[in-house]
Amino acid sequence: MRVLNAAWVVARKDLRAELRTKETLNASLSFALVILLLFSFILDPDSQTMRAMSGGLLWLVFMFAGALILNRSFARELPNDCLEALIASPASGAELFLGKCVASFILLLVVEVICLPVFGIFYNVRWTRQTGLLIAVLLLGGWALTVIGTLFSALTVNLRLRELMLPTLIYPFLVPALMAAIQLTNVLIGGDTLERDDYIWFRVLIGFDVIFSLLGLALAESVFVG
Amino acid sequence: MRNKLIWVLVAASAAVLAVQLPIIFFRLPDELNQGMVYRIIYFHVPAAFTAFTCFFTALICSVGLLTTSNAGFDSVAAAATETGLAFATVNLVTGSIWGRYAWGIWWTWDARLTSMLVCWLLYAGYLMLRRAVEEPTQRARLSAVVSIFAFADVIIVWKSIEWWRTQHPQPVLSLRGGGGMAAGMQAPMYWDWLAFVLLAAALILIRMRQENVRREIDSLRRFAHAL
Amino acid sequence: MDPRNFTYLFYGLAAAWLIIFGYVLTIAVRERKLQKELERVRRMIEEKEARRRPDA
Repeated sequence: MRVLNAAWVVARKDLRAELRTKETLNASLSFALVILLLFSFILDPDSQTMRAMSGGLLWLVFMFAGALILNRSFARELPNDCLEALIASPASGAELFLGKCVASFILLLVVEVICLPVFGIFYNVRWTRQTGLLIAVLLLGGWALTVIGTLFSALTVNLRLRELMLPTLIYPFLVPALMAAIQLTNVLIGGDTLERDDYIWFRVLIGFDVIFSLLGLALAESVFVG
Repeated sequence: MRNKLIWVLVAASAAVLAVQLPIIFFRLPDELNQGMVYRIIYFHVPAAFTAFTCFFTALICSVGLLTTSNAGFDSVAAAATETGLAFATVNLVTGSIWGRYAWGIWWTWDARLTSMLVCWLLYAGYLMLRRAVEEPTQRARLSAVVSIFAFADVIIVWKSIEWWRTQHPQPVLSLRGGGGMAAGMQAPMYWDWLAFVLLAAALILIRMRQENVRREIDSLRRFAHAL
Repeated sequence: MDPRNFTYLFYGLAAAWLIIFGYVLTIAVRERKLQKELERVRRMIEEKEARRRPDA
């Protein structure tokens, strides 16, 4: 499909640029590790508390580290008028938005996949008991963060206080997805099976992802061009 | 003409309140455990209803702006969001005071207060974004997109936090001891909602006019620099 | 009428109306600022046009 083709070209460009310098990945990973370190002072990592708080801690780390990745997503197009060139290209706003989302999503997944074992080591938590469902939660929650973050990154790219405004804007939006991801992660890292009550959070995550992906694709053109 | 409409709205609002306030204070009986304090609900809940009415108005205008590019829609959306935020603040503060004196706590992560706080943050972000964008057309466009996203999120937020709270019960700021309010006690709440909506409409009209004046200043300034 | 908690009720309602009046005040202040700005820009235009006319 032509749409996916254009989006994939944009995504590949971003990933290739990132893999050459790895600056965003390094910054994001370092930030994630620092947060994990700081939380070790705040929380006493005995197994009872950790099981109850693992979801919250993990997703907080992903949210903060993810904000760095998402900020760079459009900021890297600012020098040399690259953003204007992208907007003037035959790719529609939706294709550009989708491409950027895919690239940021892959980078975010790399951070998540590295943080999970580190978290397990630092806090002595066994997270491998429900790996399949846990990966599903990471994918769904990561996509929620990416979709909202990419749209707001595009919105704020030309503003003076971009780095300040992006987190302030996206975190309230992400509250439902964050809650759902935290709930599910808490249960899955504890190794318990999901009960019927917990499946509602999967529905919230999927619904959130679908609704905001569609809205993002529909409104991306307005954000870029008008 | 517009000025007269504003005064009519304010007068209508005052009239409705003038009828309702005596009912709220004198005719309704006291609640069993809280004494008089529970009457705050007749301002707490209508404020929330009014805030969401304003946010919904902003949503309609934002969609209108994106489809027609008529800048008047932007003025109404901005005005409606600001007014809605003011009423949301009223809801949060009255809820907090009520909670303090009825249940001893200034704040609780009750489903409705939490949802309202998230909504407040969403629309405060909207206003912050408007401050940060200087070019008027771009500001209108970006605000419209955020407004649409925000309202979609408001619905999801309310539902999810309600489900969260049914799994993690917390004190709930309401009167449900036996199962809701008696029928006769609900009417003042809807009348107060009407009064607040009339007041909100007046405020929106005033703010809308201010946004139009601001746009005129911007275009005059550009004209002046071109000379 | 149960006089219990009457002061608390007063605080609650006072807070509600103070917020509304506070918002109305910010609107009024903004109105004044806008009018002043409008006057200033109009004057600036008149001055510029007056300066151009001798040249034309």
